[in-house]
Amino acid sequence: MRLSILLAALVAANAALAGERAVTDDAGRAVTIPDRPERIVVMHEPLLGLPLMDLGVELVGSYGRTDDGEFVTAVDFMDTVLDTDLAKPKGIGPFGQIDLERLRALEPDLIIGTDLNIDKVEQLSTVAPVYLQNVSTGKAYGFSVEEDLAKVVGREDTFIKRKAAYLDRVAEVRKALPSDPAGQDYLAVFLTDQLNAVGETSGAIQALEDLGYSRLEPEHEGGAAGRGGSMMLVPLSVEAFGRLNPDLLVLMNSYMNDAREEAGTRAALDRIMPGWEKFLKPAKEDRILFLDSAKVTTPTVASAEHTLDAVEAWAKR
Amino acid sequence: MRREYAANGKPVLRFASGLQIRVGNLWAGIGFMSAAILLAALSAGLGVTDAGILDLLNGFTGTDADDARAYALWTVRLPRIVMGFMAGCAVALAGAMLQSIARNPLADPGLFGLSQGSMTMIMLLFVLAPAAPKAMIALAAMAGGLGVAMLLIWLVGSERSSGLAILLMGIAIESVLSSVGSLLILYMPTETSLALSEWMAGSLFKANWSTIATFAPLMVLSIVGIFLTGRALSAYDLGNEMAMALGEPVGRSRPVILVFAVLLSTAAVTAVGPLTFLGVLAPHLAGFVSPAVSRARLFLSALMGGILVIAADALTRGLVGDVPLPIGLSLTIIGVPLFILALRLQALRKMQTH
Repeated sequence: MRLSILLAALVAANAALAGERAVTDDAGRAVTIPDRPERIVVMHEPLLGLPLMDLGVELVGSYGRTDDGEFVTAVDFMDTVLDTDLAKPKGIGPFGQIDLERLRALEPDLIIGTDLNIDKVEQLSTVAPVYLQNVSTGKAYGFSVEEDLAKVVGREDTFIKRKAAYLDRVAEVRKALPSDPAGQDYLAVFLTDQLNAVGETSGAIQALEDLGYSRLEPEHEGGAAGRGGSMMLVPLSVEAFGRLNPDLLVLMNSYMNDAREEAGTRAALDRIMPGWEKFLKPAKEDRILFLDSAKVTTPTVASAEHTLDAVEAWAKR
Repeated sequence: MRREYAANGKPVLRFASGLQIRVGNLWAGIGFMSAAILLAALSAGLGVTDAGILDLLNGFTGTDADDARAYALWTVRLPRIVMGFMAGCAVALAGAMLQSIARNPLADPGLFGLSQGSMTMIMLLFVLAPAAPKAMIALAAMAGGLGVAMLLIWLVGSERSSGLAILLMGIAIESVLSSVGSLLILYMPTETSLALSEWMAGSLFKANWSTIATFAPLMVLSIVGIFLTGRALSAYDLGNEMAMALGEPVGRSRPVILVFAVLLSTAAVTAVGPLTFLGVLAPHLAGFVSPAVSRARLFLSALMGGILVIAADALTRGLVGDVPLPIGLSLTIIGVPLFILALRLQALRKMQTH
């Protein structure tokens, strides 16, 4: 008996010394990852990298950055969402062309990919263990990605503190609102060259719903896009949009566009739906909240807080 | 083995068994192989890690390279080179075979709808079962390609129908399947269609030894196939009636050749993605360097296909900076100027002789 306890203790000590643990990722794969990974590479920066950096984790690499750490698309979310002095991660090759040698040169101890990276797992695993995290609408909600990743990298405590502070702020902002949002519905629209309903995986949605607003489900017209369930944005037809009358209309211009403030967003919607200010009910009754998509769309607590700030400023107008 | 002269005055090597090889083709074959080895050696030295063919040779003599170098060479570069070469061979071979049975220099697995058949099936699998295992994808691709081939055989019908009929029917099927593909891309969720278009641009990213191991038996099979069908193809080059007059059982051998071309092209599509235009490009370039018929033509085309893909991969990996260059694009960048040059020179040559 004693011997078996001793053996069990020894085995446990061994596992602890090795500093590794076996986990099952969102794709159902068993992966052995370091207890507290130090050198992480992410395969999608806004959806996976930002939540980690929001927890204070420094990344060594990120798909979509150049070797100098510059972000290849229009917005560097690290600058717009986070107030951090973390170093910029390095790139692992141009988009569509992951360079395994560059990836290995970064000496990662964990690679985190999205559920859509499953076809790349075999090759990426030759460098370091790969953990796949669900980010698609329907599988992730609000900043749940940050909560999940906190467990993966052993930073649950940081997340709990972060969330508690956030919830205090939610209560504070709710008090500042002229009327109780409970029972009111909202529609969040993201403007590209068309109208899109914002998917559930973003800090903005988390904040709005935590305040008490409920989602107004635009009716899908049975398009395949509605059923895929894996996108950030669901196209919304102009006619359908014109008929909707949410208690709160949330508008944000695409982050590929520099004019993301109120005037720019109004102009962008005017191009898609000329004269909307004159006939759209929420516009006539001044029930529109303008958000900066570069700040609020990542699945992070920081994005949710940016949304709260915007709601508070709007309420105080 | 005797060195003699053929009826057209060109030197040939005749073997006791009756096999004869044109000396020009033999030299071209040796030249192509050396070019392939040279390019592969050059390509093995391209990449972020400072490693090259010398480290590889040292590895054979027992001196171990450090981890990073070994990784770069054995896990990244060599599989890409080997896989690229095999896929290039397969596509070029399929193209050369189809050109003979269609009697049309434009024939290509893409033009016949064979690649589209496999692609549509793979796309559907992407959509319906994104986590499908590799073997399943390969089977689906094979089923798609074979389905198109069967449809073609059925639509074209009897052995009397000409090569043009099979080509036109192929184009019709190809257009339908391409539009299905575009439709899928258009209506897929953004992320899925991004993954799809990434794959459609072609990539050697997924090349590894296990894929090569699955692909290798097919390569062996294709070499056997060259020996078996090569002779028949030279009869097809003369036209259906002539082939039948020469004793070629067109009704039987045409489906066999078609199925064989399907196997080759779908295997390449599954492993690397569609290598557009390579099926037309490689046989033409090979034919320009050294005109050949039957088996020699197939061998030379296959080698040229392999060379082109190795060169394209080298260009993709050798580019400095963060410029993304999918293999399909680099193949076009390398192949098309050569193609145009070859065609112009051919035209000039003809003008001089007439």
